[in-house]
Amino acid sequence: MGRRAGTLSRPAFASPGAATVLALLLAVAIPVAVLIGPYPMTLGQVLGVVADRLTGTPAGGDTVDTVVFAIRLPRIGAALLVGGALAAAGTCYQTLFRNPLVSPDILGVSAGAGLGAVLGIFLSLPVAAIQGMAFAGGLACVALVAGVAAAVRGRDPVLVLVLAGVVVGALAGAATSLLKVLADPYDQLPAITFWLLGSLAAIRTDDLTPALPAVVLGLLPLVLLRWRINVLALGDDEARALGVEVRRLRAGVILCATLITASVVAIAGVVGWVGLVIPHVARMLVGPGFGRLLPVAVLLGALYMLVVDTLARTVGSTEVPLGILTAAIGAPFFLWLLARGRRSWS
Amino acid sequence: MTALVEAEGLATGYPGREVGRDIDLAVAAGEVLCLLGPNGSGKTTLFRTLLGLLPAHGGIVQLGGDPLDRLSRGEIGRRAAYVPQAHAPVFPFTAHEVVLMGRTARLGPFAQPGRADHAAAGEALDSVGLADRAGSPYTDLSGGQRQLVLVARALAQEAPLLVMDEPTASLDFGNQALVLSEIRRLADRGLGIVLSTHDPDHAFAVGDRVALLQDGRIREIGPPGTVLTDASLSAVYGVEVRVETLGSGRRVCVPSLARPQSAGAGSA
Amino acid sequence: MARPILLFLALLLMAVPAAARTVIDSAGRRVEVPDTVTRVFAAGPPASVLVYVLKPDALLGWPRALRKEERAYVAEPYRDLPETGRLTGRGGDANLELVLKLKPDLIVDFGSVRDTYISLADRVQQQTGIPYLLFDGRFENTAASLRAMGAALGVAERGETLARDVEATFADLDRALTEVPETQRPRVYLARGPDGLETGLKGSINTEIIERAGGRNVADSGDGRRGLVQASIEQVIVADPDTIVTWDRNFYRAVRSDPLWAGIAAVKRGRVYLSPTAPFGWIDRPPSLNRMMGLKWLAGLFYPDRFPADLRAATEDFYRLYYHVDLSGPDLDRLIEWADGRAP
Repeated sequence: MGRRAGTLSRPAFASPGAATVLALLLAVAIPVAVLIGPYPMTLGQVLGVVADRLTGTPAGGDTVDTVVFAIRLPRIGAALLVGGALAAAGTCYQTLFRNPLVSPDILGVSAGAGLGAVLGIFLSLPVAAIQGMAFAGGLACVALVAGVAAAVRGRDPVLVLVLAGVVVGALAGAATSLLKVLADPYDQLPAITFWLLGSLAAIRTDDLTPALPAVVLGLLPLVLLRWRINVLALGDDEARALGVEVRRLRAGVILCATLITASVVAIAGVVGWVGLVIPHVARMLVGPGFGRLLPVAVLLGALYMLVVDTLARTVGSTEVPLGILTAAIGAPFFLWLLARGRRSWS
Repeated sequence: MTALVEAEGLATGYPGREVGRDIDLAVAAGEVLCLLGPNGSGKTTLFRTLLGLLPAHGGIVQLGGDPLDRLSRGEIGRRAAYVPQAHAPVFPFTAHEVVLMGRTARLGPFAQPGRADHAAAGEALDSVGLADRAGSPYTDLSGGQRQLVLVARALAQEAPLLVMDEPTASLDFGNQALVLSEIRRLADRGLGIVLSTHDPDHAFAVGDRVALLQDGRIREIGPPGTVLTDASLSAVYGVEVRVETLGSGRRVCVPSLARPQSAGAGSA
Repeated sequence: MARPILLFLALLLMAVPAAARTVIDSAGRRVEVPDTVTRVFAAGPPASVLVYVLKPDALLGWPRALRKEERAYVAEPYRDLPETGRLTGRGGDANLELVLKLKPDLIVDFGSVRDTYISLADRVQQQTGIPYLLFDGRFENTAASLRAMGAALGVAERGETLARDVEATFADLDRALTEVPETQRPRVYLARGPDGLETGLKGSINTEIIERAGGRNVADSGDGRRGLVQASIEQVIVADPDTIVTWDRNFYRAVRSDPLWAGIAAVKRGRVYLSPTAPFGWIDRPPSLNRMMGLKWLAGLFYPDRFPADLRAATEDFYRLYYHVDLSGPDLDRLIEWADGRAP
C-alpha cells in the first residue's frame, strides 16, 4: 500500500544517454568534416596547422591554414549553428502550438527573411547588408503577425496566430515574387534563386560573429524556461490553471524562436525540413518532455546539418543548395515515419 | 473559517454573451459542493470563471479570502487545482510526467522539478492507486485511469481546493464509481472540492451540498436531500423524476421514461 | 476593251498589302515578313541590342527600362523609348495586347533556339498574326544572324558591314590563338554576385566569351553540364584561376582585401578586372552583340602582346559603329575606369 513511487520514473523508450551519444557523434563528425573538401590536404598538414595555431606560430599565408581555419571550420560551425537553431525553434513551436506538424516558418519568419534578402539583392547591396536585411525582414514579419494576433482578440489565440502567420507569410511571398519579376534576369535573378535555396558556400567567420551570440541569446531563455514551456503542451486553460502566465510565456517563446531562426536564415538562406523533422526524431528518442527534448533536438539538428552540408559540398562538382538536400533527405524520412504508423505523435 | 472559494453576485459569460448571473456560492475545507444542471446550464463557464480562466462579467470571486483579480496565476495555482475532463493528449507524456506538471505552481519561473517534486508526484499517483502505471504513456491508459491521473496531478499541486469539471463524463460504470469514491476520500482528508455533474445520483453519492443550475442561475443551493426533490429535478431536466430512497439510505433519482406530461393529456 | 479591265486589275493589285518576303530564321521557321519593316518589337534584352545596333529607328521600346547610368551611353533619340516588357524567358511580362497596340511589323528574339522558345514564337505569331523571328545568339552564329536580321529589317548593307566586322574580329583572334597551345591560355574565373561565388560553367552562353577570347573557364564540371552554379570559396581556391573577371562592384571592391581570396593567383598578381556595363554589359547582361566589345577587351587582357590595341580607341570605335554614340572624354573615362584592373 505504501510503496514509495517517488523514484524518478522515465518513459519506457527514453535513453538518458541520448544527448551523450549525440555529443560523441558530433565530436567524431566534426574532425571528419574538417578533413573533407576539394582542396587536397593530408592529415599531417591539418594537424600541423592546428598545432601552429595552438602554439601561436604565425601561419604565414599557408593555404592549408586558410582552408582549415577560414573556410572549413567556419562553415562547419555555421552548419552546427543553423541545424541546432532550426531544430530548437521547431521543437519550441511544436510544443507551443501543440502540433507536431509545425515548422519554424509557421509565423512567417523565413518568408520575411527571404523578402528582406531578395530586396537587398535587388538593390545590389553588399553581402553584409543583404544579411542584415534578411534578419530585419524575419523579425519584422513575425512582429507584424504578433501585432495582428494581438489586435484580433479571438477566442483561440493560437489559431489566430497561425492564421495571421499564414496571411503575412503569403504577403511576404507575394512581394518576393514581385521582386523576382522585376529583377534583372541575367544578373539578379540567379542570385535571388540561389539565396532562396539556402547555402553555406559563402560562410566566413564574420558571418558567425553576429549570428552565434544571437542564437545563444535566444536559446538561453528557452533553456531556463524549459519546464514552463513543457507545461504549455497541455493547452492554454490547463497551463494557466497550473500557474503559468501563458500569454507572456508564449510571447517570450515566439520572440526567442524568431530571434534564433532569423539569425540563421540571414546567413544561410531558407533551409527547410530541419525544423520539422528533427524534433520528431528527437521525440522518438527521448519522449516529449521539453526539458529533455530541447538539448537532444539541438544536437541532432546540428549533426544532421553537418552531414547534409558536407554532402552539399562534396556530392557534386558544384555546390548543391542546402534546401534541396534537406528536403530530398527529409521528405522520404518523414514518409517512413508516417508509414511506421506510430499510435501517437511521438 | 475563510471559504476556499467564494462567489458573490457573479455573472459569467464570454465576450458579448452572458451565460450565468446572480451566482452566490462558497466552499469550505472538507466539503464537496456539486454543481448540477443540464447541458448548457453554464457549469463549465462558471468553473473557468472561478479559476480566473475567463473574466467575470460582474460580481466578485474570492480565493481563500483574496479577490481573484489581485492574485497572480501562480498564486491561484497554489490555492485551487483544476481537474478538467480527461481528453486525448497530443504528446505521449508518461503518467508520472503528467502528474509532475502539477508541481508547477510551487516552482519558480526558471526552476526545474527537484527530488521533492518527483516524490510528491509519486505519492499523488500512489494515492489514486496508479503507482504501477507511473511509467506508462498517458495515451495507453483507459479513460478512468486518465481521469485519475488528472486527479493525481491536482493533488500534486497541493492546493486546498479542487475544481473538477465533470470528472465522470465519458467514464464507464465501474470507473465512475472509482472516481466518485476517490472524491469522497479526498474530502474526508480535508480538501474542499467543487465538481460539476449532470447526474443527480452522483450529487447524492458524494455531495455535502448541491447547487442546482438552470439557465445560468442557481435555482437552489443546499444539502442534496433538500434541494433535489421530485419537483425541482423535473423542472430542471424537463422529464418527470422520482427520488427514491434505498434500503441502505442512499437516494437515487429515477426518471420516468414516458413522454413529459402535457396539460390535459392522459397519465403515463 | 481590255483597258478598263487592265486598269481594274492594276487597281486591285495596288490594293493588295505590301508584298511579303519569306525569311528563314535560325530555327528553320519560314516566316512571311513585310517588305518594309519600320516597327520592331524586341522580345527580350538580347534582341533589343540587336535591333538597336542594326536599325535603332525601328525599335519600339526597351524590354527593361534603361537605368540612369546606362542612358548616357545610348544615342539620344533612343534613350527615352518606352519600356515594353519581355516576351521570352522566365516571367515574360509583356502583355500581348500591348504588343498589338504598338502595331509592330515584326517581333524579334535573339538568344536560345531551344524548343521552348520555338513553340513560344509559333504561339505568339499565331495569336497575334505578327511575324516572329527567332535568331541564334551564340557567338559562332553572330555574323549569320546579323546578315539575316539586316536583310529582314531592310538594312542589309549595315548588316553586312557589322557581320564583316564581327568576322574580322573572330578571324584576328583565331589567327593569334593558333600559336597559343591550350595549356598556355589564361585560366579565368567569372565571378558573379556580390560574393563572387556564383559563376557559369564552361560552355554556357554566359561564359562562352571566355573561350572565344582565348581563355579557359576554370568552372568546368567535366560532364558537359552548363548553366549558372554556386561555388564555394574552397573550390575557387583549388581551381586557382590566374584571371578573375566580374561586373559586380561590391565584389570588386571587397576582393582585394579579403583574406579568403588573397591566396588565389589572380588576386596575388592583381589580375582582377571589373567589366563595364553601360549601356550593356561587355561580358553578359544581356548575352548579345554587346559581348563583341567584351571580346576585344578580354583578348587584350589575356594576350597583351598579341593585341596591344588601345582600349580607349577600340571602345570609341566600337561604340560609334555599333551603338551610334560618340563618347566624350569624361564618359569614356568613367566607362572603362576599372577595366584595367587597378585597385579601387
